[in-house]
Amino acid sequence: MSQENQIIQVRNLAKTYPGGTEAVRGVSFDVREGEFFGFLGPNGAGKSTTINMMVNLVKKTSGTIKIDGFDLDSHASEIYSRIGFAMQEIGLDETATAREMLELHGRLYHMPKAKIQDQIAKLLKLVELEKVADRYASTYSGGMRRRFDLALSLIHEPRILFLDEPTQGLDPHARQLIWNHLRELNKAGMTVFLTTHFMDEAETLCERIAIMDKGQIVTMGTPAELLEKHEAKNLEEIFLKTTGSNLADEEVNLNAPDPYARRRG
Amino acid sequence: MTTFFSDWYYLSIRNIKQIWRPLLALIPSLFIPLFFFIVNSSSLQAFANLKDFPKDISYRDFIAPVAIFTAIFFSSGNAGIEMVQDIANGYLKKLLIMPIHRLAIVLGRLTEVAVLALFQGMVVLIPLLLIGVHIKTGFLGIVAMFTILILFAMAWSCIGMITALRTQNARLVQSLFILVFPFLNLTTAAAPKNLLPDWFRIVATINPVTSIIEGVRALVLYGWDSPAIIQGFLTALVLFVIMVSFTLISFRKALK
Repeated sequence: MSQENQIIQVRNLAKTYPGGTEAVRGVSFDVREGEFFGFLGPNGAGKSTTINMMVNLVKKTSGTIKIDGFDLDSHASEIYSRIGFAMQEIGLDETATAREMLELHGRLYHMPKAKIQDQIAKLLKLVELEKVADRYASTYSGGMRRRFDLALSLIHEPRILFLDEPTQGLDPHARQLIWNHLRELNKAGMTVFLTTHFMDEAETLCERIAIMDKGQIVTMGTPAELLEKHEAKNLEEIFLKTTGSNLADEEVNLNAPDPYARRRG
Repeated sequence: MTTFFSDWYYLSIRNIKQIWRPLLALIPSLFIPLFFFIVNSSSLQAFANLKDFPKDISYRDFIAPVAIFTAIFFSSGNAGIEMVQDIANGYLKKLLIMPIHRLAIVLGRLTEVAVLALFQGMVVLIPLLLIGVHIKTGFLGIVAMFTILILFAMAWSCIGMITALRTQNARLVQSLFILVFPFLNLTTAAAPKNLLPDWFRIVATINPVTSIIEGVRALVLYGWDSPAIIQGFLTALVLFVIMVSFTLISFRKALK
């Protein structure tokens, strides 16, 4: 992989939470410009911590992160204008309408007024929310909220889109709709970094996949490479082989910091 | 620098819009101060007949500044509640990954508090003027009164914001509302210092809210030469600087 087209470079990234939980343990990887990159792993594997460190919402313990050539430690502001992030928790202002929020975000990204209006029209059409654009976000269904959150993360036409479990809790129709939007965006040249624990999602969308377990990347490659390397029939088999994931691990997020730890002593 | 002011402006507009949504939520904090003003000014008016009560001042006029102060005091906790809502639903994280000045996020909240304080204060002041309460220092006195009150409201709102940032716990932030009662009642709100028992007088002297109330009261009742005005202003200013500094420190620390 040539150095020039690597839009994300992560080296020896680690996070140890206060109390000693090692959520991420020296992770390194690159993502090419225009690539659809999947980050898989069971709950508690460290996926969300990694993505949150990459967008500077969680402070890393060590390692380096470069996005579009900018080091996150010294050029966070330049990076913010180049990335969009649709989080696992959908962060909407319940007291505002979709149009108001899109307009506010356009303003906060310092976009020209005419450009903001163009983007609002385009995005509302893309996520099929034109008819409810002037209704308060508090009235939206789960699927509408996810789609709107996606639109919000795209208002400034980011070069890289980070998605943390974007289809969690959605019905199959809504998932399909989101997948179609993501494919379109990626086809238009946007780099997409997706964390998910849905195998079908990763298999359908991603050009390259990294599987993470217990804070480390356990395997990485294109789906074809991974199938060959692990002599598996599908991604799910690889996932189970590499992570040894079972239902108990899925139910309890073992790596998550425990807010009650101090109280329990 | 231009982008800092535009970030501040747009975030303030967003927060100010939240004040009116829903409009009904504003009514209790407007109604209660007027309710207590009516009840107290009629039930406690005999205070004005006491030997040590300030001469030529009705009890109604004596507690009128307290009604304005209470309206502002009640509503200045909203900023903390809105901050904890933004944290809980993840919206604050969205703001944190934008190329905006983080100081603008805090100042946007404080601007909302100032606008709300001005609105709440005016809504209570207007009926008081209509029933004949006279502001001795005139229009400039009203401006000075709101300067003191808005500085204090912003300082007080920081308690909610700091708690929101440190604990991210909505119930705890909401429960801070009860702090209003000791801070308001252990003052000279209902009676002048010389009529208070010794222990109460000591507590009221320590309580910074007394200086705010006395400063506003001096503007309404006594005129510009009262030292209570400058004392009230300085108390509000010092509280504002300290509390905003603590809020900014909490803001830097809390979300990492």
